[in-house]
Amino acid sequence: MELSQSISFAALGGHFFVGLSRAMILFVVTSGLSLVLGVLRVPNIAHGSLYMIGAFAAYTISRLFGGGSTAFWLALVISPFVVAAVSLVAERLLFQHLYQREHLMLLLFTFALMLILGDLVKLVWGAGEYRSIVPPQLLKGSASIFGSSIPRYNLFLIIIGPLVAVGLWLFTNRTKMGKIARAAAVDREMVGAVGINVSWVFAFAFVLGCFLAGLGGALVAPTISVSLGMDHDIIIEAFLIVTIGGLGNMWGAMVGSLIFGLTQSFGVLFWPQFAIVFPYTAVVIVLLWRPMGMLKSVW
Amino acid sequence: MGKKGKKFLSVGVLLMGGLLCLSLLFMPASAQARNIKVGIIDCYSGPAAVYCNEALNGFKLALKEINKQGVLGRKIEFTTRDTKFKVDLALNMAKELVMRENVDALAGTINSGAALAVSEAVAKAEKIPLLVWISKSERITGEKGHRYVFSTGENTAMAGKAAGVALSRKPYKKYWIAGDDYEYGHAMADAAWRNLKALRPDVKLIGKSWWKPGEPDLVPYFTAIVAAKAEAVILCTGGRSMANALKTIRAMDLTKKVVPWIHTATEIAVLRSLGPGAPEGVLGTSDYLFYYPDTPENRAFANAFKSAYGSPPGFPGFHGYITAKFIAEGFRKAGSLNKEKFIDMLEGLKIDSPVGGKLEMRACDHQVVLPIYLGVTKKVPQYNFLISADNITLSGDEVMPSCEEIMKARGKK
Repeated sequence: MELSQSISFAALGGHFFVGLSRAMILFVVTSGLSLVLGVLRVPNIAHGSLYMIGAFAAYTISRLFGGGSTAFWLALVISPFVVAAVSLVAERLLFQHLYQREHLMLLLFTFALMLILGDLVKLVWGAGEYRSIVPPQLLKGSASIFGSSIPRYNLFLIIIGPLVAVGLWLFTNRTKMGKIARAAAVDREMVGAVGINVSWVFAFAFVLGCFLAGLGGALVAPTISVSLGMDHDIIIEAFLIVTIGGLGNMWGAMVGSLIFGLTQSFGVLFWPQFAIVFPYTAVVIVLLWRPMGMLKSVW
Repeated sequence: MGKKGKKFLSVGVLLMGGLLCLSLLFMPASAQARNIKVGIIDCYSGPAAVYCNEALNGFKLALKEINKQGVLGRKIEFTTRDTKFKVDLALNMAKELVMRENVDALAGTINSGAALAVSEAVAKAEKIPLLVWISKSERITGEKGHRYVFSTGENTAMAGKAAGVALSRKPYKKYWIAGDDYEYGHAMADAAWRNLKALRPDVKLIGKSWWKPGEPDLVPYFTAIVAAKAEAVILCTGGRSMANALKTIRAMDLTKKVVPWIHTATEIAVLRSLGPGAPEGVLGTSDYLFYYPDTPENRAFANAFKSAYGSPPGFPGFHGYITAKFIAEGFRKAGSLNKEKFIDMLEGLKIDSPVGGKLEMRACDHQVVLPIYLGVTKKVPQYNFLISADNITLSGDEVMPSCEEIMKARGKK
């Protein structure tokens, strides 16, 4: 066992930004999961599959438009809507009939859906090759921050995360639909009793949550190899984050993502051989300290 | 149906039955003999499926050629099982293939942990030959080797020795080791460092870091390596993590600060997917390149593979292909489906290599003797993806552990 011996201010600063960029990707994905958990009380394990579909859709759209910078931006805009369309079909056909079921039943159902969506991705895109999206020219290469070389694309992700957070906050606090969704999260019967069509409120919240999963997939696509198995990679982390943040709490998702991303990044700096355990240790500590999560859970 | 119709139908059925009996009676002996059956366990879903599908394609391409003439008047057929990269599934499926499907031999898998488990609990226990084609842990035919397990691909000992030879010629002294936190990553790291240290005792290991296979964000890991001021890094990764690693190397311009060496970094499956976005200057090793050596045999094999499956082969396709050839030739020489005879014949067996020359299955450890090509990733005008340039060939004898070393590792004199 050996602790890293050469930790400078530059390294600390560099790892802070690196951790922040990872946290922002996690936040975009988990904010959607948190919304679905909060409003619909559905522990949607298939959320990771929608993130994977977002990445695959971004790849296809990017290829359709020639793979250049414009293609990237178009893919980033269009692919979340593709995922939203898929989720709307799933919600209207399946989920809307299951909201009143027990959580265990919903867990099993969404787990089955994850397997089905995984196989659908395999059928549509195949398993025969790795896929890659090239970031636009503007975001290629790296920038020096505190003497550390940080990919420009990661800096772009640091900007996107807060934008999504502000957008979601505006939606939930400044729009009628958002306010109804928040009310439904607290007392769905009461919202229905005042004559609001709760079914469509739920559909909208579900689709918005899945849209964010698709956006996360599209955003992460240029940094990784788009391939099967992405869904499994993200979903465990996503559930841990929303749990430590506070189930169904959007700002909780932000706090959880920051804890996860930063502990992972600093773990690599302080103790690289055992960096993998750092974020999970942080989860254990948070849950021992605050079993219901850092911020108020709506469950 | 009337009486006449019923009578007509029963006569028809009788005639058909009679014809069937007659055809069975006069069927040639060879046609009655059952085919040779190979059970393949590999990962056909999940991140590693890219390599496993290609290995299977190589196997199928060879079978097309083999089954034109047949082996002992039979054909070779195969059945596959998807292990989903899981050791427990691989074990269950291998057992099922042996017990229920009565396969004559097992082949696969990309997961070194699964290969070791199946080798011990199925191949050795049930006395059935297992030909491992893309798992790379040296323990498979080294420390944990036995009569029933063979490897048709290079392993970490070979790649590690190639790394040692290659890096010992470079001026770097401060090294970092990083990679996937599972059997392959650690075996690769141990082998590369062991060999490098033996050749260059002055090199120093300043740190190690491990990530989970498929880790999407490698930036923190690489940032730490740069911060530690390592001169070179031995990166022990593969599959999807390889693509992530190469992308991150490019995004961080890492080759300007640290020189990375990665076994199979020059592999086409990853370089093709990254296109011109792959980084130049990464040292890589591989036991198969479709463009090197530029022999007529290699060109013919690459063209046949490309026309069958749409793209030239990488190392998995090559391994799958030679596995089928070894199986066919082994049974041909054994003269029957007797598994013990088949194993006896495989030991020391030489087949024509699709690259040219011969390939030998070394008798002492059941490891195929393969050269390793050391090169560096580079853009060239002929292809829209990077290739391995400035290649140096290290022969099998140069990179393989000696039979004495293998026996020592197995605890035998």
